[in-house]
Amino acid sequence: MVNVTYRRVTKRYENGFTAVDGLNLEIEDGEFLVLLGPSGCGKSTTLRMLAGLEEVTEGDVMIGNARVNDLPPGARGIGMVFQSYALYPHMTIADNLSFGLRMLKGDDRPEDDEIQWRVGETADLLGITAELEKKPKQLSGGQRQRVALGRALIKKPKVLLMDEPLSNLDAELRQQMRVEIRRLHDELGMTTVYVTHDQIEAMTLADRIAVLNEGVLQQHGPPMDVYRNPVNPFIEGFLCAHLNDIVETANELFGGEEE
Amino acid sequence: MSSMDNMPRASKSDLARRWYVPQEIESIRSYYPLVLIVALLSVGLSLIRANQDAIYSSTSIVLVHLVVLVLLRQLDHGTKNIRDGALAISGIGLFLSILHHLDGPSLWIDIWFTAWAAIPFVLVLAAGSMPMVTLWVSGRLTVKAAELGLRKNKMMAMKHSHALHHLILFHAVAAVALPILWILDVALSPENALGGGFMDEITGEHFEKLISSESFWLWTRNSFIVSIGTTLLGLALAIPAGYAFSRFRFRGRDSAMFAFLLVQMFPGVIILVPYFLVMKALGLLNTSLGLILAYSVTALPLCVWMLKGFFDTVPRELEEAALVDGCSQTQVFWRIVLPLSLPAVAVTALFSFLAAWNEFLLALTFNTSEEMYTLPVGLASLISSTGQAWGDFAAASLLVSLPVVVLFIAFQRFLIEGLSAGGVKG
Ligand SMILES: Nc1ncnc2c1ncn2[C@@H]1O[C@H](COP(=O)(O)OP(=O)(O)OP(=O)(O)O)[C@@H](O)[C@H]1O
Ligand SMILES: [Mg+2]
Repeated sequence: MVNVTYRRVTKRYENGFTAVDGLNLEIEDGEFLVLLGPSGCGKSTTLRMLAGLEEVTEGDVMIGNARVNDLPPGARGIGMVFQSYALYPHMTIADNLSFGLRMLKGDDRPEDDEIQWRVGETADLLGITAELEKKPKQLSGGQRQRVALGRALIKKPKVLLMDEPLSNLDAELRQQMRVEIRRLHDELGMTTVYVTHDQIEAMTLADRIAVLNEGVLQQHGPPMDVYRNPVNPFIEGFLCAHLNDIVETANELFGGEEE
Repeated sequence: MSSMDNMPRASKSDLARRWYVPQEIESIRSYYPLVLIVALLSVGLSLIRANQDAIYSSTSIVLVHLVVLVLLRQLDHGTKNIRDGALAISGIGLFLSILHHLDGPSLWIDIWFTAWAAIPFVLVLAAGSMPMVTLWVSGRLTVKAAELGLRKNKMMAMKHSHALHHLILFHAVAAVALPILWILDVALSPENALGGGFMDEITGEHFEKLISSESFWLWTRNSFIVSIGTTLLGLALAIPAGYAFSRFRFRGRDSAMFAFLLVQMFPGVIILVPYFLVMKALGLLNTSLGLILAYSVTALPLCVWMLKGFFDTVPRELEEAALVDGCSQTQVFWRIVLPLSLPAVAVTALFSFLAAWNEFLLALTFNTSEEMYTLPVGLASLISSTGQAWGDFAAASLLVSLPVVVLFIAFQRFLIEGLSAGGVKG
């Protein structure tokens, strides 16, 4: 598989706003990296530059050893899960899943049998075999989320990108899908970049978290390391204090019951 | 807090009595403005006819309606006198409306006006003299009866509003159907009779004459060529333009979109002469291509705006997902955006087709030789040249509407979807 490297990457939008400023970050092969930060800090922009959906203003984005700045999204060997699922409403679930395979050109395009087999395999993996003939409209939020994951995974991407994929689900489903995503990652072993503003999600999912604020990378490392050794007040406030709050609240509730 | 607790039981159950208004009265009160509007229209008709007596009687009917409405609004507990007054005045109103009717001509429109004037009075008389209402206005309604009444009111309110909907729909249908029936009558009447009773003599002679006439089929062919050509060319231009305006930011985008709107603001007559000169210079007079070009260009701004509006509702993330799935920008458009926009494309196509199918002025000006006429121009020539062939004309207009009707029925599903855009959300 591959590693991903941001080398002095800057993103300036047309209106002159700098959304990402001089980002240096290396993501190892097979690693689960979570980009964490408050709303508007540039997480999505960072991810979208890797996907090829946003131009890179300065610096290099590398996948493996190749500089991909100028490659179209489809050529980067990535799969992506969008916040709104972005399933194609006019296609059945099976067609949604197989669309990426069918768009491959020349020798890369698998035979129809092979495509069908891969659809079945992916549906199995995500437990959506019964929904294959339905349209996205007929599915629940959780099922749509699984289809979106399946669509990202079916091409066996080297890098999997997810932008707040769980934010539209209720608490219980979110918990369930969190476990599932981690399981899929461990099973399939692709390099994964996951964007969230939810500290708990980041702490429980990540091999390593990278915390952004106002377009600047603040700190990165294994979740517990960052939590134990925050390098600046922002991390202390955004991550440590927040987690402590949650623990405290839980203790209060728990303590209150015991009294 | 304490004042609530201290409230005597009696006054609490009095709530029902205080709030209860018989639904019949309530409905008449709220729908009465419609009656006033129609009554005013009736005054207008009398003014147009300059019939002095009718002006007086219709004006007094308006006033009586007004008085009845004011009295109805005063009705409450202990207003039996007002109720009695309302009943008496409604009786007078009923009498007046019948007098007014007998006074003037009795075309169907007069019958209609009389119905609108008299029936409300009848309803007021009927509702106002109901036992429940009598109890209510004399303040003798028991709490139990009031509670029961409140419960019944809900059902009755629903029934009354259904009745009103049906009444309105009936008028809408009549407004659409009457002219068609009239034309049908003319088309099926022998000779060129415009008057006479409805469907008293039926003949297919006008249809036969048309169907066996060569020029009718020639014009039909011309109309189809021009309309289909316009639709295809218009879509071929409007779809890419609408998509570009919706998705891409480029220099001159805003001014171009504004220019499109600006062109729409000129009345067609102004462009007629320049158009004619251009067509003449290009040698496109008396050709279908000339009309196709002119119509496509005329319809383009609206089509582009309609399509842009629809493309705007296709979420960007869908396109991004397709890009990640390996589509090129062009493929994204053909495989994702266009299939999702089919309803809008259908609506736009229908619009272009109809505009071309019905257009008269340009067709009359550009294509002056008879074998290049489109149907509207051909129809008009039926009236002017062969001395007012109303029967042929009516039969032809029915035949001309046929494709339109078929198209509408075929596109019905799309139309509803396309007009209620936003139905694309996942
Ligand atoms: N097309 C654009 N043009 C100009 N500014 C933009 C554009 N897209 C995003 N921005 C700005 O860039 C900043 C970073 O945006 P980004 O979407 O990366 O934030 P985010 O961290 O993903 O936030 P959220 O958690 O709300 O999704 C924001 O302040 C946003 O306003
Ligand atoms: Mg974001």
